[in-house]
Amino acid sequence: MATTTLRTSTGYRSGLYEWLTTTDHKKIGILYLANSILMFLLGGIFALVVRLELAQPGLQFLSDSAYNQAFTIHASLMLFLFVIPVLAGFGNYIVPLMIGAPDMAFPRINAFSFWLLPLAAIVMLSGFATGGGAAAAGWTEYSPLAQAKYEGIGTDLWIVALLLIGTSSILGAINFIVTIFKMRAPGMTLLRMPVMVWTVLVTSILVLMATPVLTSALIMLFIDRNLGGHFFDPATGGNAILWQNTFWFYSHPAVYIMVLPAMGIISEVLPVFSRKPLFGYKAFIFATAAIGALGFSVWAHHMFTTGAVYLPFFSFMTFLIAIPTGVKMFNWIATMFRGQLTFSTPLLYAIGFLTMFLIGGINGAFSAAVPVDFAIHDTYWVVAHIHYVLFGGSVFAVFAGLYYWWPKMFGRRLNETLGKIQFVFMFIGFNLTFFPMHILGLSGMPRRIADYDPNAGWNDLNLLATIGGFTIAASLLPFLWNVFITFRSGEPAGDDPWEGNTLEWATSSPPPPYNFDHLPEIRSERPVFDARHRATHA
Amino acid sequence: MSKPRPRLPRRARNLAALVAVAVLLAGCAGLEPPAAVTAQGQDTRNLYDLVFIVGVAIFVLVEGLIIFAVLRYRRKPTDTELPPQIHGNSVLEVIWTVIPTALVVVLFVLSWQTLNKVNAVSPSPALTVRAVAAQFQWSFEYLAADGQTVQYEQLAPELDLPVGVDVHVILRSKDVIHAFYVPKFLFKRDVVPGRENNFDFTIDAADANQTFRGQCAEFCGTFHSTMLFSVKALTPTDFNAWLQGQIKAAAATPAPAPSASGGVAATTVELSAHNIAFDQTALQAPAGQPFVIKFTNNDPGVTHNVAITDSSGQQVFKGEIFAGPDSRQYPIPALAAGTYSFACSVHPQMTGTLTVK
Repeated sequence: MATTTLRTSTGYRSGLYEWLTTTDHKKIGILYLANSILMFLLGGIFALVVRLELAQPGLQFLSDSAYNQAFTIHASLMLFLFVIPVLAGFGNYIVPLMIGAPDMAFPRINAFSFWLLPLAAIVMLSGFATGGGAAAAGWTEYSPLAQAKYEGIGTDLWIVALLLIGTSSILGAINFIVTIFKMRAPGMTLLRMPVMVWTVLVTSILVLMATPVLTSALIMLFIDRNLGGHFFDPATGGNAILWQNTFWFYSHPAVYIMVLPAMGIISEVLPVFSRKPLFGYKAFIFATAAIGALGFSVWAHHMFTTGAVYLPFFSFMTFLIAIPTGVKMFNWIATMFRGQLTFSTPLLYAIGFLTMFLIGGINGAFSAAVPVDFAIHDTYWVVAHIHYVLFGGSVFAVFAGLYYWWPKMFGRRLNETLGKIQFVFMFIGFNLTFFPMHILGLSGMPRRIADYDPNAGWNDLNLLATIGGFTIAASLLPFLWNVFITFRSGEPAGDDPWEGNTLEWATSSPPPPYNFDHLPEIRSERPVFDARHRATHA
Repeated sequence: MSKPRPRLPRRARNLAALVAVAVLLAGCAGLEPPAAVTAQGQDTRNLYDLVFIVGVAIFVLVEGLIIFAVLRYRRKPTDTELPPQIHGNSVLEVIWTVIPTALVVVLFVLSWQTLNKVNAVSPSPALTVRAVAAQFQWSFEYLAADGQTVQYEQLAPELDLPVGVDVHVILRSKDVIHAFYVPKFLFKRDVVPGRENNFDFTIDAADANQTFRGQCAEFCGTFHSTMLFSVKALTPTDFNAWLQGQIKAAAATPAPAPSASGGVAATTVELSAHNIAFDQTALQAPAGQPFVIKFTNNDPGVTHNVAITDSSGQQVFKGEIFAGPDSRQYPIPALAAGTYSFACSVHPQMTGTLTVK
């Protein structure tokens, strides 16, 4: 039984100083979440700029160059400074609580990992202040386009920003792995860990193995641009495809880095609001590990049209990775079957995740069939696909997690009515934005074009997508208002407002520094459930 | 826990279900690629249709299960006891692992077979064309039977091709990565500097005299969206006549530009291009006498020209295509009074009106 001495916040530190210097994983987790949501809003503004320009043919608001910067920075912010860090933020806050630990293994490294992120954001965005503007070759920065003869110093700043983010990820991953292996409370065996912790563990292993490859590729690109390297530019004896291989060797596993912890959140929310255990806990863990392993063997499916890929192998592996994902989907649904569902906001977002992530899985299978990929690659179909995975999947899971753990983080519940209004608007807006993109892609609209032929038949669907984009933006207003009024006068939550299963619900809301003064017995993956139902539980 | 909410009235639920089904059907109806105009594209289309059927079946099954669970297993006020605490079922896990595995293996094998057809390259194509991509334009080199000698280079964004025969395309990039994409071929292939990709296709004979939109599909820099081309399908007879005519015309020594002689200074109209756009969209010129268009191309490394078309669509003048920054004096023959349109042959979206009076 772990006991820790409770210690209230030391008196001589001001609130701001405390937040700037904290090494408490909960505060760092909240900093991660706050910074990520800020980046989400900023990246969203860039998305609106892109949608506004595409609402009708012709260039109304932007130059070609400004448009290219807008979509490049939109994707870079959303992927590297929102999705990945927001999930790391949940992990930071919740993993030590879930395994009954007082903090992360390396609290100062933890703080350092976080503070690299706002720095990286500043570096990346400072490109807008340079003469050539921010990075504009797309978030994939394919060489030779990313070389110095085509792209200005904004690209160098983008490279430096990604190096900082990569360093933050690697340090964070080591911290998670050590914390999970070394700091579990007595009784918390590996196979009693919440699925959320498992997904963070597998994600951390992916980060640790994949990110150094991206880091080295970025450094090579930097050398190419500034020191006359000969890595990725065929004009100087380099190989353009080499960049794509190294970039996607990171960036495909990165898709799972952006999705696995989201699956973890869903796997925590569904059982609680169904009042049942997760169906097939072990199958779920095996599926997570399988996705992690297979995730390293599918990177070249982003490169089928380069003519430089052994197509059958990567096609087969891409088809295979659908299987563990399907197993998870069936396990989630089986968790709801014969349960007692309470439609609180977290469950709504979790169901939003299931219904939309399914589409993201199915429309991805089209690209696994190589000839079909020849037709739809680099069209709006792919834009639809990634958004069904990363918005329909990860973003819905992020809001499920925010509404679910907000009471634990701040001791107050977010307003349910506002949460449901937000969900309805976001769900409708999301589908209005991204479903038409399937049709645009099939009819031949390439991604990343600033303008299109008014006679190509794309006008109406683009307008619809823009209306959808602004609907999503509108859905964030009730959320921000909700956060504001909850801080001012939110309903006190109590320690365990949802009748949770996992250890974070066994401590106060918010938890004290070092988390627990007393831990319940850990005899299953649901120790808090066991404690609550010990009297009646067989 | 919040109290379960009262159910929606039946009519509202039925209406919502109807709307959902209508939206779904409307969405599905649009979810088909354009009719393929090549034999290879038709193979891809058949594979697409198969994947689509499997995808829709999975979609209906899984979304159906989710909706069923959501409607059926709502917590009722009488639910004070816990529901059965089911931790899993090995038989079910095996079923929903094995069936999807079988499904994806079948899909993989079928897509591999289609891939072999789509990727097949004939040893003796009827025509070999080298598509050369550069920021932000295409040019097309028609190669002789040896597959090496350039018979004719087409700078305009039009790619004329014969139907019904095997066409071999070689891709070459002068700078960054581009992609050759014709949506109605259901096909694209990257144009990668440092390597030569190639592929074959056969346009259906029934599609002769049609024009298909083509576009660069791999982001290639600032004016990526302007990198358009079009495929014009001709019968083999028409195509051969066209190609021989072009070869002959290119071989003839270009006539020296007629200068405005006789001491009378011809009218000069100034026009320039920057950022893939003309600086003016309305020009005026005198009727019945030759004049000069002084055309300045301010786009470094990008080629432009000026071509003039009369109201019936007949081209009356086509100026030399050249890369900026540079300028040319185009001698325009005498034109009858009327309204003409002018455009850049490389970038058909650059247009304007020429009024001759």
